Amino acid sequence: MSSVYLLTLSQLSGRWRLLVMSVLALMPIVLTESLVLVPSGASVDEFELIVLNTMLAGSITPLVVLAIATVAFGNEVEDRTLANLTLAPIPRWQIVVPKLLATVSVAAPFIAISSLATSHVAFNADATATIAVTVSTLVGLALYSSAFVWLGLATTQAVGVGLLYIVLWEGFFTTYISGVRLFSIRAYSIALMHGLDERRFADTENLGFGVTVAVSVVVFFGFLLLTIRKLRNMDVP
Amino acid sequence: MTINSEPVVRVDHVSRWFGSVVAVSDVSFDIKPGITGLLGPNGAGKTTLLRMITGLADVSDGTVTVLDQPIRNNSALFGRIGVMSEHETVYGFMKGREFVKIMGRLRGVSDLDAAADRAIELVDLVEASHRPMGTYSRGMRQRMRLAATLVHDPDILILDEPLNGADPLQRVQFQDLMRRFAADGRTIVLSSHILEEVEQVADTVLLIVNGKLAASGGFRAIRAALDKRPYHVRVMSDSPRELAAAVVTLDSVEAVNIDPDGAIVVLSNNVRALQIELPLRAEAASIRLFGVEPMDDSLESVFGYLVDG
Repeated sequence: MSSVYLLTLSQLSGRWRLLVMSVLALMPIVLTESLVLVPSGASVDEFELIVLNTMLAGSITPLVVLAIATVAFGNEVEDRTLANLTLAPIPRWQIVVPKLLATVSVAAPFIAISSLATSHVAFNADATATIAVTVSTLVGLALYSSAFVWLGLATTQAVGVGLLYIVLWEGFFTTYISGVRLFSIRAYSIALMHGLDERRFADTENLGFGVTVAVSVVVFFGFLLLTIRKLRNMDVP
Repeated sequence: MTINSEPVVRVDHVSRWFGSVVAVSDVSFDIKPGITGLLGPNGAGKTTLLRMITGLADVSDGTVTVLDQPIRNNSALFGRIGVMSEHETVYGFMKGREFVKIMGRLRGVSDLDAAADRAIELVDLVEASHRPMGTYSRGMRQRMRLAATLVHDPDILILDEPLNGADPLQRVQFQDLMRRFAADGRTIVLSSHILEEVEQVADTVLLIVNGKLAASGGFRAIRAALDKRPYHVRVMSDSPRELAAAVVTLDSVEAVNIDPDGAIVVLSNNVRALQIELPLRAEAASIRLFGVEPMDDSLESVFGYLVDG
């Protein structure tokens, strides 16, 4: 497993990709700093809506993960090196799991630093709020990773499909139609954040904490199993 | 090492279609230890067939077994198989030796350094093995991929167009290597659309044309199967015009041409009968024969018959 993990880390660590992720990860920090510096800046509710819910959970995290996760298998399918792995005497899960772990390993530092710094600045170093934001964002990152790794194997148009998903589903439908939030990774992330710091984040129309944890586990392992199944059944180029 | 004459690979009524396109149609054959050449023009279905034999692609119908086990999703078998696909892409950021070692590690090789050294020496790329593969020529990439295919010392080698990008010296070295492996009792399947590559190294030939098995066996067996097809024979004699008149009436002869150099070229539909009748007619007409040369003994001409026919 370590061979696949290290190989995937090398594949995902392209200079330009890391640069783009750095820029994306900096954006919430810069915006938060700006809001704090402006005397008539945003209220806590506005900050939560704009920076945490929309920007960090709904845009930056999925975009960073999309840029990495779809490459985990996508590049190997495109350049036809995937057979190097599938022709090894190892079960399919020992290919999928290290690739998913490598995706999380590459994306997590950027998102962790971004969410830590953002919440630290916004909440005056309140540890509980900072932990709540960071943990919930990282859980969202893991869920997006599982989904987008599968997407990279399922279609050669993974980036385009992923962008549509982020903009239309996470950005539009699940924002304005509360009934479909059970199927939104962004909604899970927000609900977890509220659950982890109920004192600061008022729970309004979010999913319950317990439901969110359960659904998150189902989504993560569901996409993981779908990816293993896809790799077993597909014609490897 | 398995050394016996039992089939190692068994392809039984295998078909594969993509939508309405039939890539491989009801193909059956067995592959035994030794070198088997899979020959056919580009687009004939060779790669699809090899991909099904390696389990990379599923069959639409029929079965493929390797060592009496289904190959598809049978990862345990891959410890005994080395596969080199036709695609020449490599991990460009990785050094050659690292690539061979990582492939060895994935295949459970215990003494990685020794195995990598041995495989790289076999393909004669020791000096370049510490350079990133992105800097390699096409031929070097192929050879390093071959080293990675050999690193776990597999019993069965399946090589799709392995000589792409190889220069003449590398071709000779490759053929020597394959012969040595075959002498060890290994099973080697290699595909090519270049006739000489297969002719020079393969014990058995499988001719694939339009997704079907057009012929199989040794080169001579294939020729025997094609005896009914027109066959050119060049005959040198002291009286070409008289000889042409004497043989043109034979049932086994379809046409006779006289070359500018004085030889006659006989187009025969039954070369075995011609072999017997030609000397008799010449003797009866008091014509001296200087030489009789079959013109269609190269694999290329056999292949041409199959493709054009």
